[in-house]
Amino acid sequence: MQFIDPHIHVTSRTTDDYEAMQAAGIVAIIEPAFWLGQPRTKVGSFQDYFNSLVGFERFRASQFGIKHYCTIGLNSKEANNERLAEQVMELLPLYVGKEGVVAVGEIGYDDQTPAEDKYYRMQLELAKEVDMPVMIHTPHRDKKRGTTRSMDVAIEHGLAPHMVVVDHNNEETVKEVLDRGFWAAFTIYPHTKMGSERMVEIVKQYGTERIIVDSAADWGVSDPLAVPKTAKLMMEKGISEADVHKACYQNALEAYSQSGQMKESDWQEGVAIDQREKYSGNSVLRGGQTPKVKGSSGIVEN
Amino acid sequence: MQTTTYQANLEQAREFLYTLIQKNASPEGVEWLDKQLSKLRQEWDYRTFYFSFSSVPRFLGKASITYDEASLSKANALREGFTPQDWDTTQITRTYILLFLPHDDLKEYALTIDRMCETADMYEQQALYAALPLLPHPKELTGRAAEGIRTNMTNVFDAIALHNPYPADYLEQEAWNQLVLKAVFMGRPLYKIYHVDERANPELARMLIDFAHERWAAHRQISPEIWRFVAPYLNEEYLSELEKSVKDGEPLEVEAALLACSENTYSGGKELLDQHPDVKGRIAKKEINWQSIGDRYNVNK
Repeated sequence: MQFIDPHIHVTSRTTDDYEAMQAAGIVAIIEPAFWLGQPRTKVGSFQDYFNSLVGFERFRASQFGIKHYCTIGLNSKEANNERLAEQVMELLPLYVGKEGVVAVGEIGYDDQTPAEDKYYRMQLELAKEVDMPVMIHTPHRDKKRGTTRSMDVAIEHGLAPHMVVVDHNNEETVKEVLDRGFWAAFTIYPHTKMGSERMVEIVKQYGTERIIVDSAADWGVSDPLAVPKTAKLMMEKGISEADVHKACYQNALEAYSQSGQMKESDWQEGVAIDQREKYSGNSVLRGGQTPKVKGSSGIVEN
Repeated sequence: MQTTTYQANLEQAREFLYTLIQKNASPEGVEWLDKQLSKLRQEWDYRTFYFSFSSVPRFLGKASITYDEASLSKANALREGFTPQDWDTTQITRTYILLFLPHDDLKEYALTIDRMCETADMYEQQALYAALPLLPHPKELTGRAAEGIRTNMTNVFDAIALHNPYPADYLEQEAWNQLVLKAVFMGRPLYKIYHVDERANPELARMLIDFAHERWAAHRQISPEIWRFVAPYLNEEYLSELEKSVKDGEPLEVEAALLACSENTYSGGKELLDQHPDVKGRIAKKEINWQSIGDRYNVNK
C-alpha cells in the first residue's frame, strides 16, 4: 500500500528514517515550513531554511526514492517577533510560487496574540492572491477556540474551505471543521497530539471524507512511520482498504494538488535514485559507502 | 547620469522569446503570462514579478522546444553567440519575464538579480545564469557570474559555461580560467564553451598541464579536450606531456595530442605528428577536429 505523509519535518530526521519510510510505502511527503525549536534571530536564517526546503532536502529525499514537497510560510510563534516577521513577509513572494511548493503554511495561531493574528491574515491574503491552498497549524493551548477562530478568519478573508487544511485536530475540533467544509488533518504524534487508537475511532465515527492523517514528525520524540502504522491499525480494526487509502493517501493528494504543483505521476514511475549525485557538493554518502542507483536525474557528481 | 550598456535590443529580444512561447505553450498559459505582465506594466511590483518568475512551470509547463534554423540564426542576430537551443518552455518564459525587470537604477537592478539568485531553486538558477547574455549592465554582473560558476549543480554550471557567450565576452581572465578548469573537473564538454579558443591563455595552459600531472599521478584518465588549450603554447617545456599522451593514452587522447601538435609551428610537435602519418592524414582531411573529439569523449564517458 502506498502512503503520503503530508506533514513531516524531515530536515530534522535521519537517513535511517528515510529508508524506513520508503520501505513502509511512503511515496511522497510534504514538509511545512516550521520553527526550529529555538527562535531564528535573522531573516537570513529563514532564507537559508526556505532554500533547503526547496533544494537540498528535496534532493536528499529523492536519494531515498521519496518525492518531497513543501509549504512556505511564517509560523505563528515567530510572528511575535514583529521586526523579523516584516522581513520574512518580504521574502515569502520569492518562494510561494516555486516548483513543489504546495501551500502557504503552516500558519495560524499559537498564543493567539494580535501579532499572530496580523501575520496570519497577511498570509491568507498572499495565498488568495496566488491561488494556493493553506495549511493551518491549530494551537496546542485553547485549541477549540483557536481552531474556530482560524476558520472564521480564513472565511473572512474570502478563502474557500476546500482550499484550507486545518491540521492538528482532535475529538473536540473535528466535527466543526468537517461541518464547515474544511479538510481536517490529524497529527499522530506521541503523547501530545493524536494517537493511532483514537484516530481509528474518529474514522469509525466520521468516515474518511476530507480526513487526512499525518505524522508531523520533527526534532522531538516523534514517529516518521506514524502514517503507515496508523493505516495498519485501521485495517486491523476493520476499516476498509478504500477508506485507509483515502485518509492516508488520496485526500492529501486532492487537497494539495489544488496548488497545481503536485500530481500522482510525479512518483508513480518511481523517484529516480542516484546516490552518486551531489547537491552543492554535499552527498548523503560518507567515505567508502556504496551508492544505490536507480533511474537518473539532472545532477551529476563532480 | 549613468548610462546603461545593452548586449541586445531588449524589445526585439522580448518579441523573439514571446513568439517562441506562443508557439510552444498552451493558450491558457500564454493568457496567464499576458495577465501577469499587464499587471506589471500598469504598476511595477516586485511581489508579482517574483511570483510570476517562479510560477512559470505551474502555468506554462516544461515542454521542450524544437528550434528551426531560422530561429537560431535570429537568436544569433539578436546577440552574437546567443544559443537557446536547449531551453525549454519554462526557461524561455522565465527569461522573457526577466527582461522586464527595471534596470535604470543599477544598484537596485543588481540587488534584485542577487536576491533572485540567492533564493532561486535549481531550475530558476539555470534560467537566471543562462539569461546573462541578454541582460543589461553586463559588466556589473561579472561577480554574480563568477559566483554561479562555484556551483556544483551541473545544470546550473552548464547554464553559464556552455553555449553561453557571456563568459567569453565579459569574465576577467581569472574567472574565465576557473570556468574552464571547473568544466574539466566536472567532465563537461569543453567544445560547447563559446569562443573557447579566443580566450586560451598561457596561465590556463599551465594549469591544465599541472592538472594532467595530478591525474597521471593518480592513474586516472585525462580529458583529451585539454590539449586544445595547450596547443597555442606548445613548446619544448610541454612536449614531453604530449609525447606521454601519445605513447600511453587512449586512442582519443592520442588523436587530441597530435591535433594540438598540428596547430602549432613548434618543430618538436611537428616531428611527433610526422611519426603518426595515419592520424596526420585524418587531421589534414578534417576527420579529426576538436568537436569530434569532444563529442566522442562525452559519448564514451
